[in-house]
Amino acid sequence: MNPYVPTPDVLPIPAPAPLFAALLHLTFLVHLLFMNALLGGGVILLGSLFTRGGDRELHEAVVERISKLLPTLFAGTVTFGVAPLLFLQTLYGGFFYTSSILMGWPWFATVPLLLVGYYATYLNAFRGRRLGGGRRWAVAAAVGCVALVGFAFSNNTTLMLTPEKWSRLYFASPGGLHLNLGEALLWPRFLHMALGAIAVAGLLLALLARRERAAPRLQEALVRRGLDVFLAATVVNMMFGFWYLLALREDVRRLFMGGSGHATGLLGLGTALSLVLLLLAWRVRLAPARSLKPLAWSTLLTLAVMILMRDAVRAGYLAGMADLREIPVRTQTLNLAIFAALLLGGFVTVAWMVRKLLSSPPR
Amino acid sequence: MNFPVWELPMGGGILMALVSVLHVFVAHLAVGGGLWLVLAEGAARRRDDAALLSLVKTQSRAFLLLTLVFGAITGVGIWTTAALISPQAILTLIRAYVWGWAMEWVFFIVEIAAALVYWYGWDRLDARTHRLVGWIYFVAAYISLVIINGIVTFMLTPGGWLGNHEFWTGFFNPTYWPSLALRSAAAAIQAGLFVLVTVAFARRGDSRVEAARAWATRHGAVWVAAGVAAFAAALFWYRGALTAAIPDWADLIAGAIPVLPRVIGLMLVGAAAAFLNALWPLAAPRRWHPVGAVLLTAAGLALFFGGEWVREAARKPYTIRGYLYTTGLRVDQEPEVAAAGVAAFTRWRDPAASTPAARGRDLYRAWCLPCHTRDGYNPMRPFLAHRTEAEIADFLPRLHHMRARMPAWHGNAAETADLAAYLAADADHGAAVFPAEPAAAARLAWDAHCGTCHTLDGYRALRPSLVGSTREDFEAMLDALPDLAAEMPAYGGDPVERAHLLDFLTGAAGAAPDRSAE
Repeated sequence: MNPYVPTPDVLPIPAPAPLFAALLHLTFLVHLLFMNALLGGGVILLGSLFTRGGDRELHEAVVERISKLLPTLFAGTVTFGVAPLLFLQTLYGGFFYTSSILMGWPWFATVPLLLVGYYATYLNAFRGRRLGGGRRWAVAAAVGCVALVGFAFSNNTTLMLTPEKWSRLYFASPGGLHLNLGEALLWPRFLHMALGAIAVAGLLLALLARRERAAPRLQEALVRRGLDVFLAATVVNMMFGFWYLLALREDVRRLFMGGSGHATGLLGLGTALSLVLLLLAWRVRLAPARSLKPLAWSTLLTLAVMILMRDAVRAGYLAGMADLREIPVRTQTLNLAIFAALLLGGFVTVAWMVRKLLSSPPR
Repeated sequence: MNFPVWELPMGGGILMALVSVLHVFVAHLAVGGGLWLVLAEGAARRRDDAALLSLVKTQSRAFLLLTLVFGAITGVGIWTTAALISPQAILTLIRAYVWGWAMEWVFFIVEIAAALVYWYGWDRLDARTHRLVGWIYFVAAYISLVIINGIVTFMLTPGGWLGNHEFWTGFFNPTYWPSLALRSAAAAIQAGLFVLVTVAFARRGDSRVEAARAWATRHGAVWVAAGVAAFAAALFWYRGALTAAIPDWADLIAGAIPVLPRVIGLMLVGAAAAFLNALWPLAAPRRWHPVGAVLLTAAGLALFFGGEWVREAARKPYTIRGYLYTTGLRVDQEPEVAAAGVAAFTRWRDPAASTPAARGRDLYRAWCLPCHTRDGYNPMRPFLAHRTEAEIADFLPRLHHMRARMPAWHGNAAETADLAAYLAADADHGAAVFPAEPAAAARLAWDAHCGTCHTLDGYRALRPSLVGSTREDFEAMLDALPDLAAEMPAYGGDPVERAHLLDFLTGAAGAAPDRSAE
């Protein structure tokens, strides 16, 4: 047993672990959608700002639509990022805190990076036109900050899985300046997430164009642009997924190669789904009038499967060190009920407000 | 302890204080400012005052950029920083209060969504719906405060939770309600401050614009003045609750925690300055000026910095008072540590550490660094500069007798020797030189020895027992300190330091009491 793995806390968790795991996955899925739209949308916007070639109207449409949305996507990413972090800490706090401390400064840097990135999206949304050529640099700053925050998360979530590395890093330098750059899993994991974000943002751009009922020619061009991004990113990302699989520690990789029915099933399902995605996207690409709904739902399902695969990876790495079934439980039924009621009421309220706003045209 | 300690030159506490004060400053504005916006919008619409409505709209944009971005991200920053500095405390807080945080998160979402809809709805929603969204924002923001107040006050005065570990017992703890009153008043102060700052920097215009500006200025000033008055009243209530919940509160503010009287002073000065500054826009709203806004912001920062620091300082040496020490050790683990020694509880020991000083360094990180730094905030090296290794080893087992509310050191003889070896080797012996000015040298000699446990006229006042004694009496006393009380260590200062200390004691014996120097 690794002596640096923290002793589990004596206080019980106030509901069964599977419930917190479900909340972790569910809120992370929503976070992922916002994060994908933010990071991927930012990359698509940046691409448009730096290339400028081709269809001027399409260029304008992409730039205006995405620029207007980025601050709100940032807000969604942050608010829906808080909940999965909370539930992750409820279940795996000891591991997550230790890896965070080892990379104290880079981890703390996520706070100023988020601030700068967030303000840059507002600068672009409110003053973008007036910035002229500076606009692309504001967007580059926003995308760069978000990507660096994502990179810090990839470092932390891989470092928390490998307690055997911790003591060497800490005693070499206890000032919290480490990253997890020596980890084989780091780059495929980060790139897989980043490219996935670009693909999903491409799809969202197509969906947005459909919803707006823009002029048919423009709508068609936007859908095509979005799906091109989706297809290209997904093809490359399948290779990154394979790299990710190869980079797994051997015992964990074996779980996905027949060692565990759960993990192998998820990998099979995920692979099949990505092929379905390519097929569905290609069909709409050929005939842009076709419905995007099957593609959208399949993408959501793929994201859910990816989240469960991440969970299986985590469980595999921490096997023998963190067994969720061993955490003592003392369910706070009343609080659970209050939370459920508030969650429902909160979503009804938010849905009502957003609906009111979207259904009222600008005066 | 369970977690490695992040070695920060300036100290984790300073980083935490910086992030949390900035957040709390904006977070209270996020609550009070929301009420201001919706009320001011209502007033503008009732009076059919387009200039005022336009001013409120401009304010709502600054509000959005300040609270939605800075407020939200620094709020996440508090979590990030706290988990780096006090991981065990955050782990405990999450275990005990995850449903509280989850409930607060729901209101956070509603709050953020409402703020966005409110801003983007200015030109889209009808007036009634727009104001309703404003009210939804304010209610959600206030309930966030209501929930977080429960968890934050729990850390200072957990009350009955220590016995039953029940969520709501700890939530509605002895200081819950007075603290809620304090924070509500602070939210009103912040709203007024926000109004006064935004109008001071707003563009000038025709007479209607100026009239709207004057209206907002006067009302903003009323919010600050009334907020400070309510804050002062709530402070009396809070003090009563603290005195009842923390039996040795009187000792703490009399110098047992040296920094506490100073930060209470900072908070009161900030409150008074904010109140006085609010009289200007109240009396002459049209002459309100950016200089006043800057001064008012400084006063507000002093008030918040002082207030938050008081709470933190009063909690020393715990993160959850009576349950968890800042080191991450639970109070109920103390007997085990006393029996087994500290090394068994120091998870992060370097297997390559072979010398006493190297082993001592691991103990220093785990047991000293959570509160101290080498040279930054609460530094150890200057203090240790005046003590030899033998003196340090002699002093460590007496730490809990110090006035600064140190937890007991439970190291066995070998562990104590290891820690003393590291501390002595690391001490800043260059700082042991005394200043040329006699009074300053005498004061330093006092601070380095007697002052660690005594004050002259406050907590454990020594002056009364010094009066009437001569230099010769003090000479004899210094040679026989352990005979005075079991917890007194022997005095081991060199002849130079001894002479300075005798100067100080002789001077103090002949001077009038002075509470201000503690």
